[in-house]
Amino acid sequence: MEFTFAEQLGFRGLTLLTFLPVIGALVMLLFMRGKASAYKATALVTSLATFALSMYLAVVFNTDSAAFQFQENFVWIDSFGINYHMGVDGISMLLVMLTSFLSVIAILGSWNYVKDRELAFFISLLILETGMIGVFTSMDLFLFYVFWEIQLIPMYFVIGIWGGERRVYAAIKFFLYTFAGSVLMLVAILAVVWWHSTDAGVTTFDILTLQEGLSGLPSNWAIWSFLAFFIAFAIKVPMFPFHTWLPDAHVEAPTAGSVILAGVLLKMGAYGMIRFNIGFFPEVAVDAIPYVLILSVIAIVYGAWVSIIQPDMKKLVAYSSVSHMGFVTAGLFVFNLQGVEGSILYMINHGILTGALFQMVGFFYERTHTRLIRDYGGMARPMPVAAAFFSLFVMGSVGLPGLNGFISEFLVLLGVFRYEKVFAVFAALGLIGSAAYLLWMYQRTMFQELTNEKWLALKDINAREILTLAPLAASALFIGIYPAPILRFLEAPSENIIAQVEPFLAQKQSIMELASSFLGGF
Amino acid sequence: MPTPDVTPIIPELILMVAACLVLVVEPFLKLDKTAVVAIALTGLLAYGAAAFALLGQDMAGFNDMVVINDYAIFFKVLFAAAGVMTVLMSPRYLEAHDRHLGEYYALLLFAILGMSVLAAARDLMAFYVGLELMAVSSYLLAGFFRYQLRSNEAALKYFLTGSFASAITLYGISMVYGFTGATNYAVVGTALAGGENTLAVAFATALVFAGLGFKVSVAPFHMWTPDVYEGAPTPIAGFFSVGPKAAGFAAILMMFLAVFEASVDTWTVIFIAFSIFTMLVGNLFALVQRNVKRMLAYSSIAHVGYLLAGMGALGRSGDLLAGEAILLYLAAYTFMNMGAFGVLVYLKTQQPVTFDYTLDDMAGLARRSPWAAILMSLFMFSLTGIPGTAGFIGKFYLFNAVVRADLVWLAAIAVIFSAVSAYYYLRVMIYMFFRESEEEFVVGESISGPLAASLGLAAAGVLFIGLVPARLVDASVGAFQNFLGL
Repeated sequence: MEFTFAEQLGFRGLTLLTFLPVIGALVMLLFMRGKASAYKATALVTSLATFALSMYLAVVFNTDSAAFQFQENFVWIDSFGINYHMGVDGISMLLVMLTSFLSVIAILGSWNYVKDRELAFFISLLILETGMIGVFTSMDLFLFYVFWEIQLIPMYFVIGIWGGERRVYAAIKFFLYTFAGSVLMLVAILAVVWWHSTDAGVTTFDILTLQEGLSGLPSNWAIWSFLAFFIAFAIKVPMFPFHTWLPDAHVEAPTAGSVILAGVLLKMGAYGMIRFNIGFFPEVAVDAIPYVLILSVIAIVYGAWVSIIQPDMKKLVAYSSVSHMGFVTAGLFVFNLQGVEGSILYMINHGILTGALFQMVGFFYERTHTRLIRDYGGMARPMPVAAAFFSLFVMGSVGLPGLNGFISEFLVLLGVFRYEKVFAVFAALGLIGSAAYLLWMYQRTMFQELTNEKWLALKDINAREILTLAPLAASALFIGIYPAPILRFLEAPSENIIAQVEPFLAQKQSIMELASSFLGGF
Repeated sequence: MPTPDVTPIIPELILMVAACLVLVVEPFLKLDKTAVVAIALTGLLAYGAAAFALLGQDMAGFNDMVVINDYAIFFKVLFAAAGVMTVLMSPRYLEAHDRHLGEYYALLLFAILGMSVLAAARDLMAFYVGLELMAVSSYLLAGFFRYQLRSNEAALKYFLTGSFASAITLYGISMVYGFTGATNYAVVGTALAGGENTLAVAFATALVFAGLGFKVSVAPFHMWTPDVYEGAPTPIAGFFSVGPKAAGFAAILMMFLAVFEASVDTWTVIFIAFSIFTMLVGNLFALVQRNVKRMLAYSSIAHVGYLLAGMGALGRSGDLLAGEAILLYLAAYTFMNMGAFGVLVYLKTQQPVTFDYTLDDMAGLARRSPWAAILMSLFMFSLTGIPGTAGFIGKFYLFNAVVRADLVWLAAIAVIFSAVSAYYYLRVMIYMFFRESEEEFVVGESISGPLAASLGLAAAGVLFIGLVPARLVDASVGAFQNFLGL
């Protein structure tokens, strides 16, 4: 095996990457209480360093291989086969980059947003970053679960302390929804590990070992465990009908919270589906295709439908996430290269674009203290630069060719079309819907008459805010024009995913045709 | 007549000497009770250390009435830890209530002595002596604030219902004696395995279950718990929630595995049924409490429900894992619940008059004393079962054992209830962090002195078990395997 530079140095890249934010948070807590500029700078530097490290790892990363790289494996709880096992494949590498990227944006974007208990706010964001990166880098189920739950806590406080008026309700709803889903997942984890240990004679929580070892899982076990995992992740994504926590959480969360929530936390759900639902139970995943597609299409259409009538910009973007994440799950579960690659790319693009939209809504809100669309109008006059950025992100979300949203939407639709036309037709309806609600919102806020005269006095976004948005805009353009470097990360793992389900796909073809012809009959 | 070998009871002897010393020294002291606290503390530490030093020993003494083995030692060390935390958080609290008397510590040590005997007993008589010593000392401790109505109520309620429970246990034991003519666990167990009088044995099983179930507050025998916790001095309430519970489970494990081994099918069903009911009652009533002490009382009932599920798993699979998980859970629970009560003790010492343990009293705590709020959050997260804390490791092992006993549905019920429990634990944090205090508050003095040591010990325990569980897992595995060696 070829050792990379990092491994030769004995440099534990992923551990450092995961815990760097917490180290920064500790330094801030211990040495910088009451020194606002010092701890803000430290938070920014920490997140930048984390981002730089993730970029470095991405450069060193071997994109030709579907194998997990930068692996670290230490015994943690010996008697239970629990290891501290870290590693990334192409999918998690990209998501780690997205996480560290959006964390920088979130920290920079909320420089002056929080007035109360500022230190605690930045510390929460950094702890959150550690939790999120940990979810993507864990290769041990136990470790994964630990990070999965731990990231709930900082987010709970971010929404609950620094959120809007109904923040307490939103925070507890967010926590309880996710927690209820994940405790059931815990039972499923224990059940499959137990089955594996009786089957193979060793107790292990290692994800890769389990992926291979669970192939003989009896079908009723597989179905129940699949469901428990699936519900936990469907809540996080969120899929219809588990989406109701999302609008509340988004509307009440502070801007940085929304950026991270939409940008990264939702992706953790889809990521979990890839790793566990498909990785552990490929056969059930194939059986579930029609159901997942139906739920996804409902989410796409329903999310778009509900977005159109939202009076509140932030809520509109929140519901649009429900619609967009429908594309992610749909693309994932058609199990062809276009669909899967498109789906994962969609996650990245959605993180960038929706993160940017939330950030911009936050900037507007900081100036006007309202998020209601009808209070705006003609904002392009006092804030031309903001309006220009806003148009870029809106267009990206709509799926304008040349911007990143288009590539992934196109790939997903292609994949879904190849699988079954009728779903593609419905998904395309959602596309039209997204053009409708986003453009209409843009028109009503940025163009039209300047109804509220006092908005004329508003200042355009300042240098720091431009600095926050520019990287997002640049990456939106870059991926839109030249997606190849990103797609290169996805090829090998996507093929790997398809290879996992391939045998069952061929075998079940007739059943699926049955299910979809049933739908096509309408 | 040969002199009996006292090795098996060396830790208990130390504890007894310390307790008597407290009683002797106390009248000679005027106001400063530091010496008493020091004696109690030294006694507890020596007791724990002596137990620890005997690790690996396996011997019985006094005609096999008590044993010293890793199982008993595990509990002794746990009791010592609970006792040390209780003693450390008491002085300031008692001074604040003007009731700083030496007999408090003596009673506490006697209660621990009873618990210690209970865990080490291998004979029905020794078992009962331990049980009563623990119970009687507890009644007195619950009513220690005898000028307070609530404390009196707590003591009376505890005493009356507790006496009934003891009597019911004794009735069950006497039936067992009637069938077998023996009191030694192993002898009785073998005799009962003969298989005669099955119905009567099932009856005796049920009686002992009810009696011990009362001690560890299994629903529907839990009614005393919230009132007693509310009325008792707070450090004592914390102690009640962990010490007698752990001792009760030590006895339950012994009783049902050794004595009633023959009727394992019967009691497995009983434990599973009561487990579900206890989880239900504990969690649902905890949801509606506005008094944190009462909430913690109901939450302790819910935790007993989880432990009973572990007993059900143990009965069903006979798997050592379930027993180990119960021991681990008890250890985790001891630290987190003592810690939670410790924070309440701190708050009470800060505002002896106005603080009444309600959620509203905790509003805005994060601003007044951030450290108290952070510690409380740690304990609440641990009670919820969030990874990184002892509570998660406890639940993880326990539910794992339940799953492996082919009781996946029971594990699913248990985790759903722990999701419910997240609501009332999080609510404490909502008040501490998300709400502001309505009245002008005084910034209290920071946590200091013995109380800080006590809370530090609890927090360290929670984090240590949560992050590096391997040591404790090994300890509980060793303890339980040794126990089955009987």
